[in-house]
Amino acid sequence: MLQKKICMVGMFGTGKTCLVQRYVHSLFSVKYLTTVGVKIDRREVQASGQPVMLMLWDLEGRDDTRDINTSYLKGAHGVLYVVDGTRRDTFDKMFEIRDLVTRTIGNVASVVALNKSDLTEQWQLKPADERRLADKGCFSLLTSAKSGVGVEAAFQRLADTIVAPTGAQR
Amino acid sequence: MTESAVGATVEAFGLTDRGLVRDGNEDHFIIAHVNKTIDVRQTSMSSRAMPQEFSGVAGYLLAVADGVGGGPQGELASERTLSALLSYVGKAATCFQGLDADAEHELMDKLEAVVHGVHAELLAEYGGVTSRLPATTLTLVLLVWPRAYHVQVGDSRAYVRRGGRLQRLTRDQNLGEFMVSLGAWTDDQARMASTAETLSSAIGGSELEPVVGLIDLAPGDSLMLCTDGLTKHVSDEEIAGALAKPQSAEETSRKLVSDALAAGGTDNVTVIVVRTTPT
Repeated sequence: MLQKKICMVGMFGTGKTCLVQRYVHSLFSVKYLTTVGVKIDRREVQASGQPVMLMLWDLEGRDDTRDINTSYLKGAHGVLYVVDGTRRDTFDKMFEIRDLVTRTIGNVASVVALNKSDLTEQWQLKPADERRLADKGCFSLLTSAKSGVGVEAAFQRLADTIVAPTGAQR
Repeated sequence: MTESAVGATVEAFGLTDRGLVRDGNEDHFIIAHVNKTIDVRQTSMSSRAMPQEFSGVAGYLLAVADGVGGGPQGELASERTLSALLSYVGKAATCFQGLDADAEHELMDKLEAVVHGVHAELLAEYGGVTSRLPATTLTLVLLVWPRAYHVQVGDSRAYVRRGGRLQRLTRDQNLGEFMVSLGAWTDDQARMASTAETLSSAIGGSELEPVVGLIDLAPGDSLMLCTDGLTKHVSDEEIAGALAKPQSAEETSRKLVSDALAAGGTDNVTVIVVRTTPT
């Protein structure tokens, strides 16, 4: 079976671990648990008509991009950038993180998860922010690990893009 | 045990104690060097020309296992798990350095497969009835400097101390932690509940969900693996304090076990401390 490494990256507390937990175990944890190093999970999906094992590397969140251990990124086929939509700084920092990832492993398949979309009253992102992402060639979607909204779609989009025939849109 | 890895000296020491209440000790631990087998005794080649992958220590295997159930069955489960682990790592010893992403996944898959393999063996031996199975926790670290791969089943723990800060690498797989994570119990309710320590995942248990992770260590970091005989008596703050002292791995291990015994020693207690220093 094809095996593809996906790295979850983003600032501290954006909900990377919760997204993986929702996607792999259909659970939502209300208790905040800090990831130290990398936690690895996996899930089998169908992409382009074939089974693919997604190896999900949940990287510890770092507020300073310089603290990200780039050796964890090596060999990744795709990246899920996770932004906390209730914290504007996590959106702005995402572009810096993306530059670092691109410098390290090149332009691999990616999706931006605008997470915690269930927290509508605290939401700080505007439609213009999503347009900015699109202008920069980033595919983004609203996600909520709590409700499950967008979670399947985010990982499925990554899987489809990774195994798409050569020449297909990334 | 003290050995040089590239960029760091790794010192490890382990200790287990029956405690003050239990009749026997169902805990087991292991600290092993994983060495390459080629030993060049004489050569005309310069050291620069010698392939580095055939020299020095390839890795370190560290593991603690806490047998469950009381009596020889629990001890059997923990011992058999560590034995199977040694057997696998021994066979794979030459393949650890320069791992690419696929090889890393294969390594982690195989470590996880060892866990499932022992579980299946126990299940077959006891006629498939999980309620009768001897069970065990397992916390293992395979250190291929600087990367420490870890696999976790049950409520034994691994900690890392870096830059003066102690952090847990593992999460307890027990009912208390599970209920708190779902928001069904508060931390206080979990502390009071008699069922909180019931394992939600164990080798030989009705559920088995190994959790896999990794961390790159830096010279100066310390690692600590332990069974719950330590953590039910010694707080994270006290563990941090013990690891902060400039003592050897042996002195720190003895101090932690001694603290657990002084606080009641109600369970078997096992500790492995790993110190790393720049070379």
